[in-house]
Amino acid sequence: MRIAMIGWEFPPLVSGGLGTHCYELTKHLSEKGVIIDFYMPKVRYEVADSGANIVPVAFTPITPYAYPKREDFFQKVISYNEKCASLVVKGNYDIIHCHDWLTVPAGIKLKKTLRKPFVFTVHSTEYDRTANLFPWDRVVDIEKAGILHADRIITVSKRMKAQLIDRYDADERKIHVVYNGVDPRRFTGVKMKKPKERIVLYFGRLTVQKGPDFFLKAAKKVLEFENNVRFVVAGTGEMLTQLIDLTVKLGIQDKVFFTGYVSDEDLPKLYVIADVFVLPSVSEPFGIAPLEAMASGIPVIISKTTGVSEIVRNCLLVDFWDTNEMANKIIAVLRYEALDRTLREREKMEIMDKSFSWGNAAEETIRIYRGLL
Amino acid sequence: MKLCFYFQVHQPMRLNKLSILDFCKNGDLKQMYFNERKNREILLRVAEKCYLPTNRLMLELISKYDIKFALSLTGVFIEQCQEYAPGVLDSFNALAETGNVEFIDETYYHSLASLYKDKSEFIEQIKKHAKIIKRLFNQKTITFRNTELIYSNEIAGIAESLGYKTILAEGINLGWRSPNYVYRPRGCSKIKLLLRNYMLSDDVSFRFSAHAWNGYPLTADKYASWLSHCTGDVINIFMDYETFGEHQWKETGIFEFLRHLPAEIKKHNLEFATPEEIEMPPAGEYDAPNVVSWADLERDTSAWLGNDMQKSCFNEMEKLGALIKQKNDKKLLHIWRLLQTTDHIYYISTKKMGDEEVHKYFAEHQSPYEAFINYMNIIQHLKGSL
Repeated sequence: MRIAMIGWEFPPLVSGGLGTHCYELTKHLSEKGVIIDFYMPKVRYEVADSGANIVPVAFTPITPYAYPKREDFFQKVISYNEKCASLVVKGNYDIIHCHDWLTVPAGIKLKKTLRKPFVFTVHSTEYDRTANLFPWDRVVDIEKAGILHADRIITVSKRMKAQLIDRYDADERKIHVVYNGVDPRRFTGVKMKKPKERIVLYFGRLTVQKGPDFFLKAAKKVLEFENNVRFVVAGTGEMLTQLIDLTVKLGIQDKVFFTGYVSDEDLPKLYVIADVFVLPSVSEPFGIAPLEAMASGIPVIISKTTGVSEIVRNCLLVDFWDTNEMANKIIAVLRYEALDRTLREREKMEIMDKSFSWGNAAEETIRIYRGLL
Repeated sequence: MKLCFYFQVHQPMRLNKLSILDFCKNGDLKQMYFNERKNREILLRVAEKCYLPTNRLMLELISKYDIKFALSLTGVFIEQCQEYAPGVLDSFNALAETGNVEFIDETYYHSLASLYKDKSEFIEQIKKHAKIIKRLFNQKTITFRNTELIYSNEIAGIAESLGYKTILAEGINLGWRSPNYVYRPRGCSKIKLLLRNYMLSDDVSFRFSAHAWNGYPLTADKYASWLSHCTGDVINIFMDYETFGEHQWKETGIFEFLRHLPAEIKKHNLEFATPEEIEMPPAGEYDAPNVVSWADLERDTSAWLGNDMQKSCFNEMEKLGALIKQKNDKKLLHIWRLLQTTDHIYYISTKKMGDEEVHKYFAEHQSPYEAFINYMNIIQHLKGSL
């Protein structure tokens, strides 16, 4: 089976779950004998070896999540897709597989010219990325076209599936849910000296979708009851300055630490020094970070509006806007040793469960491919 | 052969949500900790579905067939009836007045006090229960059953020293022996032990409406014939009273089953008896060095002390006792005791989390972790208010 997979980012430099997803998926598909040519923008660093054949298309200024709503940017996306399509046409493939809207125009074009099935994985929609505030119509239109033309749609959660049916009029019959996984080996056996202060960790892009402002508001409330605690905001994004301003406004600037970009190598260390991980996403199609935190053995608090909450049990759930309850649960984990211990033990057991493995995700993907041949 | 029916009647006082962020608030602790609206709502609903219709039917069956059985009502249940539904207590009183219903003792607060190192709290709760039964139903209690049938040689010894003539327990760890005889607890000389026949009890309480069960549908004549095929001196059928109309809804036909059961039983060589009327001498000794109960498949204390979170709540509550008693404040003591009701700690069990159905339920309601946080918050708030 030969697959032309079109993506835009790949480790070691990734800005979100999509890069990790493409790496792990192609790795496990390759191991199972699927031949993959992975088309992506040219980069100036050496990308990780997953077993897939990386095909650099051209240098592009594409940033997958935070992009300016400008015509010239849009034109560059279109031009990337055209170059991509012109390269893929030369190959001999059974299936074209695209990830998110940025590669959809190429997928639709190739489906028509090559008359091959088109698989579209939706990791997030424009509504998710903008937390439903100001979605850009041009992007929504491309997503709609992709959903209409795709022969099979893969979503990373049931929540996302429901969204595609409700908002994009997707045909329910062609949607398959394939959950992301986690490779626990990356996060076990890491040793770090614990700091004296208790650490509450946020890790994710600093964007309205992930709700880092709710994290800071909860921090303020925690600090009214707990003194020996520091809040670490890890990641980068367009909200950085706004968030720094917010810590000053809340008067907690001496208790919050912004790490900036966190590399793949540093991430496991960051989890290990943390006492509790919080992800207050407003709208999260999946959310790989909570699984990584669980694999690292730290208690996890996530919002109910995350896809991953459909499959994990040993974590604490909150509404993203309920910063009082978020603070209550953060303090409970910090104060009640039995809760901390039980969550750590049980979440590790849960993560070892094979249903979160990338191997499983690859197998389900192969099943979807086979159904198209 | 004797047939001894015993029913347990209980409703916990459900908790309010208390956040750590509310710790600075002051006010009436009982109002802060207990969800009055929800407790009223549930009590009235279960009264309508179960207590009132079942009591009415039992009264009818007593007058028609002279049936006999035993009941125990927790103090926590009685208090809620007094507050929200006095009519329910009247209907239990009507049963007491027939002379066919034996009221038996347990811990007033449906607690795990029997597992505390210091047994004085356990004994006080039993005495408090005996007092309210005497006052409300004018019966001197002589039979004891511990919360959730929690039982051991030590607990039997305490019941004997308090003067009880009979104690009830779960019919397990019997080896080749049958639960259908009277036993003597190891280490005791006078008290008699009645063991629950869990197969025949659970046929009604758990399996009655289970379509997948090969005994389905369970009819009164079928059940009476199963009972009549037993060998032994006494068959002990113990279950929650809420089986009738609450655990098994009216639509399952449970009331019709109950209505026809006495007539079917009378066709066989079976005789209704209350625990106090079981006069046979013990057939042997029953040894329970470790604690057993009627809960879950494990039939031990793991439903309440199965994980670290549960153990830490239990330990905190036990430790709090000494501090509370120093205060000499009746109201405070009562609140601490109401918090001992096993239901609060049972909700923290993680045993069933692997179950998909249960997971869905937790997702919509409350996970064991949330139950822990809330219960522990309340315990810590109480501790802080001392």
